[in-house]
Amino acid sequence: MKKFLATAAAFTMLIAAGCSNQSSGDGNATGENGEWKPTKPIEITAPAGPGGGWDTTARMASQVFEQEKIIDKRLPVVNKAGGGGAIGWAYIAGKKDSEHNMFVASPPLLLVPLNGQSEYGYEDFTPLANVIADYGAFVVKAEAKWNNLNDLFEDMKKDPASVSVIGTSSPGSMDHMQFVKIAKAAGVDVTKIKYISDPDAGGLTAVLNGSVDVYTTGVAETIEQVKAGKIKVLGITSEERLEGEVLSDFQTAKEQGIDETFVNWRGFFGPPGMDPAAVKYYEEKFKELSDSPAWDEIRKKYGWGELYMDSEEYSEFLKTEAEDMQNLLEELGLSR
Amino acid sequence: MDAFQGLMSGFQVAFSIEGILFVFIGVFVGTFIGMMPGLGPISAIAIMIPITYSMDPTVALVMMAGVYYGAIFGGSSSSILLNAPGVAGTVATAFDGYPMAQQGKAGKALAIAAIASFTGGTVSVILLMLFTPILSAVAVSFGPAEYFALMFMGLTAISSLSDGSTIKAFISATLGFIVVTIGIDSQTGTSRFTFGNPNLLEGIDFLVIALGLFALAEVSTLVLNRKDNSMSDNKEIGSLRLSKQDVKEMSGPMTRQSFLGFLIGVLPGAGATIASFIAYITEKKLAKNPEEFGKGSIKGLAAPETANNAATGGAFVPLLSLGIPGSGTTAVLLGAFLVLGVQPGPLLIQDRPEVFWGIIASMYIGNIFLLILNLPLIPYIARVLRIPRPLLISLVIIFSLIGVYAISFNTFDLYMLVAFGIIGFLMRMFSFPAAPFILAFILGGMMEQAFRQTLTISNGSLAIFLDKPIALTLIIVSLLTILVPMFTGRKKLSAKNDTGKPL
Repeated sequence: MKKFLATAAAFTMLIAAGCSNQSSGDGNATGENGEWKPTKPIEITAPAGPGGGWDTTARMASQVFEQEKIIDKRLPVVNKAGGGGAIGWAYIAGKKDSEHNMFVASPPLLLVPLNGQSEYGYEDFTPLANVIADYGAFVVKAEAKWNNLNDLFEDMKKDPASVSVIGTSSPGSMDHMQFVKIAKAAGVDVTKIKYISDPDAGGLTAVLNGSVDVYTTGVAETIEQVKAGKIKVLGITSEERLEGEVLSDFQTAKEQGIDETFVNWRGFFGPPGMDPAAVKYYEEKFKELSDSPAWDEIRKKYGWGELYMDSEEYSEFLKTEAEDMQNLLEELGLSR
Repeated sequence: MDAFQGLMSGFQVAFSIEGILFVFIGVFVGTFIGMMPGLGPISAIAIMIPITYSMDPTVALVMMAGVYYGAIFGGSSSSILLNAPGVAGTVATAFDGYPMAQQGKAGKALAIAAIASFTGGTVSVILLMLFTPILSAVAVSFGPAEYFALMFMGLTAISSLSDGSTIKAFISATLGFIVVTIGIDSQTGTSRFTFGNPNLLEGIDFLVIALGLFALAEVSTLVLNRKDNSMSDNKEIGSLRLSKQDVKEMSGPMTRQSFLGFLIGVLPGAGATIASFIAYITEKKLAKNPEEFGKGSIKGLAAPETANNAATGGAFVPLLSLGIPGSGTTAVLLGAFLVLGVQPGPLLIQDRPEVFWGIIASMYIGNIFLLILNLPLIPYIARVLRIPRPLLISLVIIFSLIGVYAISFNTFDLYMLVAFGIIGFLMRMFSFPAAPFILAFILGGMMEQAFRQTLTISNGSLAIFLDKPIALTLIIVSLLTILVPMFTGRKKLSAKNDTGKPL
């Protein structure tokens, strides 16, 4: 009951805050010394429906910002689903110059526009900060004949079509690209890889029952099945070994002599043309979030890795990532 | 593992005051959300996750599971009363439930739905308790080839979903197939039939189509026939009482579909919607008087209602024992597990027995709650029908719009809803059945995907279907159900000719 009252009270305050703002104009509160502070609730957009990775990240960030009082305004999460993110991006692009809007993004922000399915790409938005890194894992059934990536890629070099690979997302998007990126570095003819997509998350099932050979997915998703001895992880895409039970046993592609990595980064972006003072404010707040014990706990629960980048580092990082992806997609004939 | 001891410890959690309270809250919220057309358990659970953050994990999960099966339970009411499916799993409920309500037997229809739901739910919990470890093997036994065969079997029913012209049923199904191809093609990443509109990239949501073709089309017909008094007289709720004959009729479908629905629920990706359709179809095939289906048949109502609730129980098998979510809702539930620090998977029974058994034990209680909650409320829920018609029509339209908007918070979907409402209305005017459209839409997408996945794996060879015993059996059964009636039908025809005048 108490909780309910608190929520009700917060809600009332939110409405009050919204009203008071309307009277004082569109609160651009850049102070005399160039400092900026939010003057009304900050809307976080998840460009997907409730429950997915973007939505979860947005809701968790909003929760930590509010509960740890890192930001003393409310941060409601709004879902704008559709077009693999394109609908949400178009929505944010329409909020040009707003300092009270942001959205959560990950590699699809680079890949979807490159696939020709969104008119807006990462260059159109203001990177605020990156907070999370996830890595890819390549999984086979426990009884499979391959024990490491080199075994697998040896077979694929001889006949790429003898091995089938399954992932959740469609060709040209994340699950596919992380595999292609590593396989290419190992010398496999990536244009001939047999990739199957199963948007209903049937990848793990297909590997367990032997319909498909390799499952390309996120690291966290594999832990339970590895513990139960049902699957083995041939390699992961991080730079160095990860920390944690089971996780630390996974060999990276790098230590197997394949000099390539793939980061599933996740961070926050503002609308086009956001005030640099506001960018600075958010950068600092996200740093605080990233360093907080509450966020650490959430990271552990979901198996997310830490990767903080400020706005400038983030822009540089995105630029090289986008170039890499562009080249790979062109080679695969998927670039549009 | 001592299952009995585990279950007892589970009941201890479920019977604690907190446990009972939160099961109740869960199923109550679930029933309510289920009744609202369009509002589904996915968003309800996603919104609950941050609230449950500080709660005891078992109690929180028991509550969220309650929302899930409660929604399927409650979804039948709006299907029966308004022809507006509350959740995707209750579309098939409207096929016979709505005609029954139109005949002034709304009370009875709701009672049948509640009892069938309760039976399906309870049987599935028992099966879940006894066989989860064994069934986890069944859950992963289906690869793309098997899924294709299962969907193929479902499709053989298209003609049986029509009470009039078979040709019209096939035309309607073809439209369903066409519409489901809209969006990004999963196997190549190419967009199909989107005409450069980003709103169409993810395809059209099932509920948009279901609410358009059923709820809005119905509403349009009502508006058109507003002067026709014969229809508006049916405000009678009728008695809740089921006669012995009714119970006898229900018992067959309920027993069969509890098991079949559960098994289909176990398969990841199949779920409550497909289970309810397959239940409806099999019962129609088994029935002595299939012509009653679609006109208020008790069997036709009991079958999908049992199956969709049984399937919800079944969906917990891959979720709990493998950590594989079989549907959108269970995917969100999986997220909830993770937030609460519980990792579903092969080790859940050993590592967190109190969670595993607590959820199962709570589902017994939850189902009883749902029955108690729903049966006495029937007269009140059914009073919806007494709302003056102009007001009721407006309410259905408003709820359909809200429900669709809540899926994606995108106004484009509202235009799509209206478009499908118009299509549905036109289909009705020219007596094209809507059910084959819906069936083709549900099965067609998965079927195409499974077929192409299979062929990619086999490098294009169709012989792969011969190598897979499950797939082969399903395909042979489907072919038999198509071919056998054709031959027996011809025999009957020639028998008639024998007795009649010579040709």
